[in-house]
Amino acid sequence: MTMIQVRNLMKSFGENHVLKDISIDIAEKEVVCIIGASGSGKSTFLRCLNRLEDITSGHVLIENVDITSKKTNINKVRQEVGMVFQHFNLFPHKSVIENIILGPMKARGVPKIEAEQQARELLGKVGLSEKEKAYPASLSGGQKQRVAIARSLAMNPKIMLFDEPTSALDPEMVGEVLQVMKQLAKEGMTMVVVTHEMGFAKEVADRVIYIDEGLIVEENEPLQLFNNPQNERTKAFLSKVLV
Amino acid sequence: MEVIMKSLPYLFDGLQVTLKVFVIAIIIGFFLGLIVALLRLSPFFILRWIAKFFVDAIRGTPILVQLFFIYFGLNTLEFISLDRMTAGILTIAINAGAYYAEIMRAGIQSIDRGQDEAARSLGLTNVQSMKFVILPQAFRRMLPTFTNQAIISLKDTSLLSVIGIADLTQRGQVQIAATFKAFEIWIVVGVLYFIIIYLLSLLSSFLERRFKLS
Repeated sequence: MTMIQVRNLMKSFGENHVLKDISIDIAEKEVVCIIGASGSGKSTFLRCLNRLEDITSGHVLIENVDITSKKTNINKVRQEVGMVFQHFNLFPHKSVIENIILGPMKARGVPKIEAEQQARELLGKVGLSEKEKAYPASLSGGQKQRVAIARSLAMNPKIMLFDEPTSALDPEMVGEVLQVMKQLAKEGMTMVVVTHEMGFAKEVADRVIYIDEGLIVEENEPLQLFNNPQNERTKAFLSKVLV
Repeated sequence: MEVIMKSLPYLFDGLQVTLKVFVIAIIIGFFLGLIVALLRLSPFFILRWIAKFFVDAIRGTPILVQLFFIYFGLNTLEFISLDRMTAGILTIAINAGAYYAEIMRAGIQSIDRGQDEAARSLGLTNVQSMKFVILPQAFRRMLPTFTNQAIISLKDTSLLSVIGIADLTQRGQVQIAATFKAFEIWIVVGVLYFIIIYLLSLLSSFLERRFKLS
């Protein structure tokens, strides 16, 4: 089943055409990694998938619902599409568990006791059970990102979007976050991951997409794309990032 | 000394009026400020323009002129009849509201955009994100500036004596007229204002510390 359909997506900031013409289908349970240089439009593309960026033209369908349509209740769609940010964006005035239960309680109307129970399960899953009452400021980067993942998962999303989830982390903390993401992939979550972690892409992705100057230059399964890139631009990019 | 002791009960009555005006005005001003701040951040040009006009008009004119306009000016209109207390409270509230609006707008805008994005990506509505994520953080950040403005508003209430509201300042004047002890009475009046304002700033730093803990 197709979870995400993107058709002729274009996005401009004024005169700056960031995404030029992107079309892609992403299937249920598929893990897609998006790679590309900074400024290539890969983060913007991801942010168009839950309409954090308004779409200039084209269509994005999430489970056959066109989120570019004015009639679509975007808040409903976003409940099904989790997002994890480079800078975590935890709510600093709320404790870890309050961060996690906010979405289920306010957006879905889940009773507090139930939301807390689920939050504790999720904290166990990301290995942070003992941090329930801590505030974000007291957590390490890796811990923050794991809480952020738990917060997204609390909405029971069908799709998870990751926007460079390890780019702001100290190197020794990258592993713990990737571990959680691998686990998620294994459980069959549909994931779209913008990343610079080529190792992760190689190991976990079903498909890797190379975006440059607002266009999909090349897409393939990871082994093919990394070992045998067809396009010159892909080759040039990979020669820079794969040492 | 005896004069002071004798005037104190009258002055305390005035202090009560001052506090009453202040508390009511600051509450109205707070909500007025919040509404105006949200209008200024709204996507609709006309709402933003109205809010900006209001803020500019209030900030660009002396509060005494505003008081005279509301009490004497508006009251010449046939369908409006404001007693001095209402006019006084309204003036302080509107004036504070304009300044609060600017404080709140700046406070709201100072919150990282990622906070709203995180809230919205969970499926929260615009209003929910504002209520549960943005405003609680913005208010914490704004607390010192809030207190500052509240103190200014409290001091502004002394202007209401000119339209005959029997506040602390006006009672002081009356006591001086009766006793001719201008030096002593004005010191006492000043000390009473000072104590209230000092307590207010203590309350603010207490709240600030409490918020920091969490």
